Amino acid sequence: MDKFRMFFQHFQSSSESVMNGICLLLAVVTVKLYSSFDFNCPCLAHYNALYGLGLLLAPPLTLFLCGLLANRQSVVMVEEWRRPAGHRRKDPGIIRYMCSSVLQRALAAPLVWILLALLDGKCFVCAFSNSVDPEKFLDFANMTPSQVQLFLAKVPCKEDELVRNSPARKAVSRYLRCLSQAIGWSVTLLLIIAAFLARCLRPCFDQTVFLQRRYWSNYVDLEQKLFDETCCEHARDFAHRGVLHFFASMQSELQARGLRWDNAGRSPEPPAVPEPPEVLDSGSGKAHLRAISSREQVDRLLSTWYSSKPPLDLAASPGLCGGGLSHRAPTFALGTRLSQHTDV
Amino acid sequence: MDKFRMIFQFLQSNQESFMNGICGIMALASAQMYSAFDFNCPCLPGYNAAYSAGILLAPPLVLFLLGLVMNNNVSMLAEEWKRPPGRRAKDPAVLRYMFCSMAQRALIAPVVWVAVTLLDGKCFLCAFCTAVPVTALGNGSLAPGLPAPELARLLARVPCPEIYDGDWLLAREVAVRYLRCISQALGWSFVLLTTLLAFVVRSVRPCFTQAAFLKSKYWSHYIDIERKLFDETCTEHAKAFAKVCIQQFFEAMNHDLELGHTHGTLATAPASAAAPTPPDGAEEEREKLRGITDQGTMNRLLTSWHKCKPPLQLGRGEPPLMGNGWAGGGPRPPRKEVATYFSKV
Repeated sequence: MDKFRMFFQHFQSSSESVMNGICLLLAVVTVKLYSSFDFNCPCLAHYNALYGLGLLLAPPLTLFLCGLLANRQSVVMVEEWRRPAGHRRKDPGIIRYMCSSVLQRALAAPLVWILLALLDGKCFVCAFSNSVDPEKFLDFANMTPSQVQLFLAKVPCKEDELVRNSPARKAVSRYLRCLSQAIGWSVTLLLIIAAFLARCLRPCFDQTVFLQRRYWSNYVDLEQKLFDETCCEHARDFAHRGVLHFFASMQSELQARGLRWDNAGRSPEPPAVPEPPEVLDSGSGKAHLRAISSREQVDRLLSTWYSSKPPLDLAASPGLCGGGLSHRAPTFALGTRLSQHTDV
Repeated sequence: MDKFRMIFQFLQSNQESFMNGICGIMALASAQMYSAFDFNCPCLPGYNAAYSAGILLAPPLVLFLLGLVMNNNVSMLAEEWKRPPGRRAKDPAVLRYMFCSMAQRALIAPVVWVAVTLLDGKCFLCAFCTAVPVTALGNGSLAPGLPAPELARLLARVPCPEIYDGDWLLAREVAVRYLRCISQALGWSFVLLTTLLAFVVRSVRPCFTQAAFLKSKYWSHYIDIERKLFDETCTEHAKAFAKVCIQQFFEAMNHDLELGHTHGTLATAPASAAAPTPPDGAEEEREKLRGITDQGTMNRLLTSWHKCKPPLQLGRGEPPLMGNGWAGGGPRPPRKEVATYFSKV
């Protein structure tokens, strides 16, 4: 348990670490999934390629979608992309950065599956056994073309009676597996070289822009999380007050009707004065939630958060919600301040 | 669990220790990968050598590059190399040290793979089965009568016991034993050489430029830790920024709604609600912002960090951080030293 807690804490330290952890977990799940999957080539002429290629490509697609689903940042990115500009202008660079970071992490598990499948060879042998050129192998010299095709279709199945213990089957199978492993290793090598070059050469281009985009995409993620937490707190307070108000109003209603809580024999006691609702609201930290106390107000707050996010300027006076309740002049000077620092 | 936690914390303490841990894991993974990998010699004359060379060389290259990619110092090295000097001079010795340390760690897993491959022998057998001296090991009299392609085709099948049909020429066991023996000898020599090289490098290094080495090591650790701390500070700042931004948003809504409400429960609200006091934590959040409260300033800070890193000199007064710095530190006022020599007669 301690071990898990430690891993958990390490990975929770930043959202990037969380996503790296999820990525790794998905890769490990992929390896386990592949090793426990029972590959079952149909060994029939037209179905082999379908089955082999299907198994090579469909699970990676599923894993890719799972990787996108499991990553919180994909939702944050889409939200940032689709929100109206409002008081805060949108930077396409940040959206691109988040998109590339999400895609990279989501691509890890599918690539692990594809590489495992190629290095193992079964998928490849099943898919391409019918496409082998029979002239490469001397054992097919005295067979008719249709016999050759039938034979080749059965190559992936070692136990089939037509091909059992046949040296021709072993030669073809060996050839295809060798090809599959060569392709697998080449793909691995290419990917690793691409990753290495990307990592090495990135600081050579636009390092300052990269630092800014990384900071602000992290900020967007944190802000969304904090907003959700603040809304949860608000909802809890709202619910608490609502329940207390309900109990207080029930109590006052019952006392107004003259019902007593005590036994019938006793003399009626004067009803206690119900506490004013404001006392229920007292408590630290509720001052800033006092006005937002009805469904419409909460709805309005949430739709303003979406349609008109506050500007990234804390020194200015508290901003407005676009509409017309406030009587102060809008502080649109913020827009000019934001745009003047484009180059240093 | 305590032991595990201690090891984990020790390895996390700095990038070099962390990389040592990763290195160890990759070496083990390399050996495990080899044993899980199903070596599949094609047993065809042209393909054997290509396949074996591929298996001997491609995975080590992959492991080496993987070792470099997983090392955060690679991008740090590139950053340090490409940054403008700003107010902090660049030291090529530090860059060299970082590169050497990364490369050394990344080389361990490939060396393990090559050693395991040679000691196992299958790869060597597959590559050189056509070069076996048939005249010495088998029926030497029959060999010259065979055309070369036929001989090659026969010998290429030596690694595959189920399709080998040349027992009349050369017993398969003999060839396998011969080639495996050479392969293991090569494997052990390779292991011995690399260990010797590592030992010599490690023990002889202090004899040369130890002082410069200590300096490079210190400043390379410093750069690593500085970068980590900068990232952590940026994250803290972003968190504080977001908290204050959201609080201001709620306060603004609160303010607008109170101005708009003319009846209801708010009519009885105390006057102090018009200017709600921020909760206690807001002050310390504002302090964490260190005065950087808008997007433009933050962007300028990040640009300055790259273009004009601060000098490695603390407590030097407060030079402006946001201006365009110039290379080299501020000149000290020239000190006049007067040396007077007295001769003792």
